[in-house]
Amino acid sequence: MKQKNIRNFSIIAHIDHGKSTLADRILEITGALEKREMVSQVLDSMDLERERGITIKLNAVSLTYSYQNEEYLLNLIDTPGHVDFSYEVSRSLAACEGAVLVVDAAQGIEAQTLANLYLAMAQDLKIIPVINKIDLPNANISKVKEELKRVLGFQEEEILLCSGKTGVGVKELIEAIIRVIPPPKINNDGPLRALIFDSYFDPYKGVVGLIKVEDGILKKKDEILLMANDTSYQVSEIGIHTPKEMQKEELKSGEVGYFCAQIKEISSIQVGDTITHKDYPASTPIHGYQKMKPMVYSGIFPVEPNRYEMLKEAFEKLKLNDAALTIEPETSDALGFGFRVGFLGLLHMDIITTRIEREFSIPVIATSPSVVYKVTLTSGELLLIDSPNKMPEPVKIKKIEEPFIYTNIIVPSEYIGSIMELCQKKRGIYKSLEYIEEKRVNIHYEIPLSEIVYDFFDKLKSYTKGYASFDYELCGYQESHLVKMNILLNGEVVDALSVIIHKDFAYQRGKIIVEKLKELIPRQMFQIPIQAVIGSKVIARENISALRKNVLAKCYGGDVSRKRKLLEKQKEGKKRMKTIGSVDVPQEAFLSILSSEE
Amino acid sequence: MKAVYIHIPFCKSICSYCDFCKVFYYPKWSYAYLKALKEEIDDVYMGEEVQSIYIGGGTPSSLSCKEIDYLFYFIKKFKRASFCEVTFECNLEDITDDLLKVLKKNKVNRLSIGIESFQDQNLCLLGRNHSFQDAKEKMKKIRSYGFSNVNLDLIYAISKESLKMVKDDLRLFLKLKPDHISTYSLMIEPHTILAHQHIKPIQEEIDRKMYDTICATLKRKGYLHYEVSNFAKKGKESRHNLTYWNNEEYYGFGLSASGYLGNVRYTNTKNLFAYLKGNRKGESQILDQKEKMDHEVMLGLRKLKGINVAEFEKKYQIKMSDAYPLTPLLKQKDLTLKKGYLAISDDKIYVMNEILAKMI
Repeated sequence: MKQKNIRNFSIIAHIDHGKSTLADRILEITGALEKREMVSQVLDSMDLERERGITIKLNAVSLTYSYQNEEYLLNLIDTPGHVDFSYEVSRSLAACEGAVLVVDAAQGIEAQTLANLYLAMAQDLKIIPVINKIDLPNANISKVKEELKRVLGFQEEEILLCSGKTGVGVKELIEAIIRVIPPPKINNDGPLRALIFDSYFDPYKGVVGLIKVEDGILKKKDEILLMANDTSYQVSEIGIHTPKEMQKEELKSGEVGYFCAQIKEISSIQVGDTITHKDYPASTPIHGYQKMKPMVYSGIFPVEPNRYEMLKEAFEKLKLNDAALTIEPETSDALGFGFRVGFLGLLHMDIITTRIEREFSIPVIATSPSVVYKVTLTSGELLLIDSPNKMPEPVKIKKIEEPFIYTNIIVPSEYIGSIMELCQKKRGIYKSLEYIEEKRVNIHYEIPLSEIVYDFFDKLKSYTKGYASFDYELCGYQESHLVKMNILLNGEVVDALSVIIHKDFAYQRGKIIVEKLKELIPRQMFQIPIQAVIGSKVIARENISALRKNVLAKCYGGDVSRKRKLLEKQKEGKKRMKTIGSVDVPQEAFLSILSSEE
Repeated sequence: MKAVYIHIPFCKSICSYCDFCKVFYYPKWSYAYLKALKEEIDDVYMGEEVQSIYIGGGTPSSLSCKEIDYLFYFIKKFKRASFCEVTFECNLEDITDDLLKVLKKNKVNRLSIGIESFQDQNLCLLGRNHSFQDAKEKMKKIRSYGFSNVNLDLIYAISKESLKMVKDDLRLFLKLKPDHISTYSLMIEPHTILAHQHIKPIQEEIDRKMYDTICATLKRKGYLHYEVSNFAKKGKESRHNLTYWNNEEYYGFGLSASGYLGNVRYTNTKNLFAYLKGNRKGESQILDQKEKMDHEVMLGLRKLKGINVAEFEKKYQIKMSDAYPLTPLLKQKDLTLKKGYLAISDDKIYVMNEILAKMI
């Protein structure tokens, strides 16, 4: 294969705009898979991905196609379509020279269309806009074309039309990829530089890294150096996915494939790192490497305390394939033994907890997600705080800064008022508003990330009847008036319920939690005060009055066994409770407070 | 020494709160039933001396005097101890000279009458119908036959009842000068008429207030509060019911009757036709040492006097504090230890399940 006949590209789209179906069709047309071999959406290999219609893990497939009597090698590099994984998306895009931007013929441009497009443009990729699902009865091709021209500046003749479902226009798309997207820059000489854009764990081969060779040639048995990690290995295998694995002797400049080197831990290979030869290293790595940092932290505890060991094993297994997951043990008086887990975002957190419950059958409780706060002490020391329980005493704190995000919220224009009201409530700072077309706008706010992780998605849905699409990027830290709010039960702090919260919201949230606890904790033999406090100041309070009656009124001969069973039941109930400040609290109380908002 | 319970499952009317095993009185069945009962006693009774016989129901007084006489005829078989307590449950409306004569003749020495309440609103809800005047006359008649141990049942915490109504009931009950009062907060049991009518229990706070009022009033009038729900003039404590609370053995004869013999707690069938055919077997449970001890704790702590620790330890050959977490409960004043008796603190009797659940 001539290196100039290589095309490296991604498909980018808003969720549900048909990216995976289109990829399937491309695989079918290029003959990578027979139709009968196709399981719908081959690239989304996890059930969970298929169910949610999203792609979580990346894949790269090498396809061959004949065009005008020439053989072409098309490397389709898949990307996850969610903001949580935007760093990974950017690294995948860095391995490409072009991208197919898919837009739904009925929906038009949405928030993730823009977010993904901006990431692709940042990598200087050649973009092919394609309107998908043109077979839909409610397709509005001319309107979507207008949007692409007006908002994104495409020319009429650049825009392709297709349907991943029926296959119409897909062949033309493949040929456009060959025509429009440039081949990779070839540099077979000089020191090796290969970009790692993804990795996964294989039980037989160890960690498999997906790479694109920029300069030089990578061969089997080469001694390699991972530049950011500063570790070296010997390559044991290289190859490509067609999508089946096909071993090769070498990968040359411009080619995409995989390598293995008997690496046991996924964290040893970092996405964005550069591979070079140990004996003849490159002087500089490929630009753009960052260490992946969790954005959201949560305490994850087994509902049944005796499942702690199982939970530990589950996390270890998940971590094999997920370099972004950080885990450390955490102990809570209220919830027992568990883990403080760092996630890339809420979706990542949701996926991990769901997989633990589903694949490992361990029911878990997650404490309120926390972002990473920058806390400056009066001593001048700077701390990064990812858990309310690690927050220093208020008197020692000079200032607290929190991460903010910059939004793309695309909505029909009649919801502008609702969105502004919602963003205002979430401490948003208005930035700008632009019309995508006559009746749709993109609204930009800066909002604290902590408000997004609280209940923003649900609220957004209800404020706009589901018509809004939302995406964001981080835009730095800003100082905020934040406080740590504790919940006291009979005078003792319930660690699992502590939160870091804006001062103005503490009263309302405290009141809700305190009222809910009153409802959920059964009466006991003494009166129980429940308080929400900031420092030593009580901001909300309720009392659970003492139990007044729990007795078997009559108990004669025939009743004994039945009554005994009744007592057993009460006793079992008590066993399932956690004792905090001599108060028995049912597990459901934590579950209910931690799983629902307002 | 054992106790004997005999169940008579017949009633002339069905009370809305009752979850005992009962059917409408029907002479063809009642006679067949007495025959089956006789058979059971002949089969099972081992000839021990008995210290109490309790004839309950249902409504034993719904039987005809002839049937009652027959019942006593075949239960002559029980070898009565010299102080044997013989209780017969009656409905107020069944009390006649004839009935009292039959009972007297057969050495019944204790009557238990299910009055429950005199408040019209309560009686209507409970499915009962009688007046205070009626009760007064019947009581007078009972005393004239020389019955010196009479229990009245009082139900409180009936939906929508006020504390004032409970006080009024107490006043009227006391006017009848019973020797013993059993008082229950209304329990809405599944499968009762009340449950089907979706009647809701009264608020916990009010229930407790009523209970405290009853305890204080009866105490003031010279009744001894000796069990959660039972009050007696001195020496008139129910010996039969104490058998249960002392975790002692008893026979249970008749439809759905329960007994406790050796290591076995058993309950007869609840199916009348099976019983009439002699298929008496219902559920039974063999108790191990731990279960026996738990029963003894659960039942014994119902008595305000409590459990005799030395006797308990002798019986089970184990230190009570090794078997149960007594120290923290004593420290929290959930339990008291006085003169060798372990008891629930008086003010916590009404929440005693909380304490039991920590023990057993």
